[in-house]
Amino acid sequence: MAEATVFASNPAKAAVAHAHQARSPMRWLVLAVLLALLVFTLFPFFIALLNAFKPGTDYVRGGPLSIPTYLQFDSIAKFWKDADYARKLFNSTLISVTVSVLAVGISLFNAYALGIGRVRGSTVILAILLLGTMVPQESIIYPIYWMAKTVGLYDTQLSVIIVTAVLHSAFGTYLLSSVMSTFPREILEAAEIDGATRWQTLTKVVIPIMTPTLMVLGTFFFIWTWNEFLIPVVMLVSNNNQTVAVAMGLTRGQNMSDPTLQAAAGLLGILPTVIFFLIFQRTLTRGVVAGAVK
Amino acid sequence: MTSLSKVALVAGASLMLLGSPAFAQDKTFNIWWYEGADSAQGITWTKALEELKANHPDVTVNFEQKTFDQLQQSGSMILNSAEAPDVLEYNKGNATAGLVASQGLLTNLDDAYTAEGWDKVLNEGQLVLSRYNELGIYGSGPIWGISTYGEYVSAFYNIDAFEKAGVKVPATLEELTAAFDTFKAQGVTPLALGGASTSGQHLLASLAYTKADDTWVQNYQGLKAPLDGAPYLFAAQTLTDWLAKGYITKDSTGMNDDDASLQFTSGKSPMYVSGTWNLGNFSANIKDFKWGQFVIPTPKYSVGSTGNLWIIPKGSKNPELAKEFISLLLSTKYQTEQANNGGVSFAADPAGVTNPVGANASAVFAQIAAKQGLGFYPDWPVPGYYDVLNQKDTGLLQGTLSPEQFVDEIKTVYDDAQASQ
Repeated sequence: MAEATVFASNPAKAAVAHAHQARSPMRWLVLAVLLALLVFTLFPFFIALLNAFKPGTDYVRGGPLSIPTYLQFDSIAKFWKDADYARKLFNSTLISVTVSVLAVGISLFNAYALGIGRVRGSTVILAILLLGTMVPQESIIYPIYWMAKTVGLYDTQLSVIIVTAVLHSAFGTYLLSSVMSTFPREILEAAEIDGATRWQTLTKVVIPIMTPTLMVLGTFFFIWTWNEFLIPVVMLVSNNNQTVAVAMGLTRGQNMSDPTLQAAAGLLGILPTVIFFLIFQRTLTRGVVAGAVK
Repeated sequence: MTSLSKVALVAGASLMLLGSPAFAQDKTFNIWWYEGADSAQGITWTKALEELKANHPDVTVNFEQKTFDQLQQSGSMILNSAEAPDVLEYNKGNATAGLVASQGLLTNLDDAYTAEGWDKVLNEGQLVLSRYNELGIYGSGPIWGISTYGEYVSAFYNIDAFEKAGVKVPATLEELTAAFDTFKAQGVTPLALGGASTSGQHLLASLAYTKADDTWVQNYQGLKAPLDGAPYLFAAQTLTDWLAKGYITKDSTGMNDDDASLQFTSGKSPMYVSGTWNLGNFSANIKDFKWGQFVIPTPKYSVGSTGNLWIIPKGSKNPELAKEFISLLLSTKYQTEQANNGGVSFAADPAGVTNPVGANASAVFAQIAAKQGLGFYPDWPVPGYYDVLNQKDTGLLQGTLSPEQFVDEIKTVYDDAQASQ
């Protein structure tokens, strides 16, 4: 089953092997490097947190790193109200969840055909799909706008869902196909001998084994869609349809930006993904190490 | 049901039937802008919209606070769809308002300009950015948008620090340099500058305008002739001189405007050259010292322009209401209101303005506009010139470009654009 995972299992194995070694200066060095990386990663969060609750007068006096003289919650409240944040949160969640389910579904079916099934020219199809993921969004946004306008989907969330799901599933198909092409043939043959149809092989054999991988893929799709900016900003005209990422633009004017409001928006913007990640991090790690333990 | 009430019902129903074609039924007026809710414009426009609402109780007013980003990214796509509002704020200039005007997406405002009496408030100088020709170039052609406020670049200064150092507000460039010297002698870096950002090129242009006459500015902004580099050479030499004498810190090379303005607001540097868009932030947040503005002394031209435009999309369902709203914004009442909120008004009633910041800013703008001295922004003539100027400006401050090389490099880009138009 080692092959049925998304990520290489070597680093995990190495980590396990390392744990059995005696304490060495190397370990401390690794720890120090990891700690430094941790501080580096957490620093933006810290800045957002520090400035989101800092009064504007403190900011203009001391800048981003100063310690606030008192805490104010106006920035958070103001951004919540001005951006109609509850609504944006709902929109983003709806779009991201739908895209993530849809894109995983499409990727799975495509990859089942391309990776396990025998499709003539599957390499060419994969190469084309990969090209699809590499094309810059800016270059396809105008045709997408025209298509959406022609079919009456401009300014609807459905347009964003369809476009984003298709774009993500191009990458998902590529990834899952390469994983499935190494799917143990013995298992598939055993299923065939037992008289399983193709549909049964997919639902009873492939999906259960692939579940951790699919979960990881779904989580990534969710986070990518959540952070998506260009497609929603172009496709969703009305404020009521917009997403969190687009609403963040409220803090940046033509010539001016409001740093404390920006920090508040940043904090509110990343919080949902952090919460989502915390909930799903068990499935994520399981997906990553699923193959390593066996 | 009694027969009487039946009659009443029928009568009522037929009245409603009769009434509906005569009265506008369930009208919705869609309006967008992206100025911040706390800015002078945002506050004033909200109040004016309230009045419009009160004047038309039968109309549902639907306002959406947009973002600059959104209209920058997809403005022409929105205007070319049924989703466009009835009236909206739009960025002035060739690449934005000019583009959508040339694409035929806007309502022509030539007739409204006189019919609504806007000509009594605005002069031709304040209409330069309202007119776009068939190529979308500003300065001539029909009126496609109306601006209701102004903006200009000036030096913000720390009044307390000036008093403490015994420095008077400079009226000439020599006095400005002398003021720098006094501060420097006292161990203070006098000028905060965002060398990698807008304020860097605005200072450079302000210095160039000290050596610019009408022909130069018109040629420069109109892309009419190859660049005459002399004013820019003077500006570049002055800037390197200031850097060498320590009037500007070496750090300003890589500094952006947010950090540079922080140098000023925290009291570290007593002067900062930037636009009137800072007024809101400074008024609200500077509590430690008194501050004021003075215009960089130039013979005529200052960096500045009229503000963003109100445009009426071609498909607007309520163009009359849209015009009424623009008229409200240009009325003395809301012009005064705007100045009182710290904004730069065209036609405020001086007696009614109690906010010193708005009163001063409006007065300064009036002076510049009266002598036709709006020199616009240095990046306007050439597409992408904003980044070119920032990049070369940084090179100049870093010392990798001499003033002569600086002028050569920006001249090459300018002349290429000029030749290929």
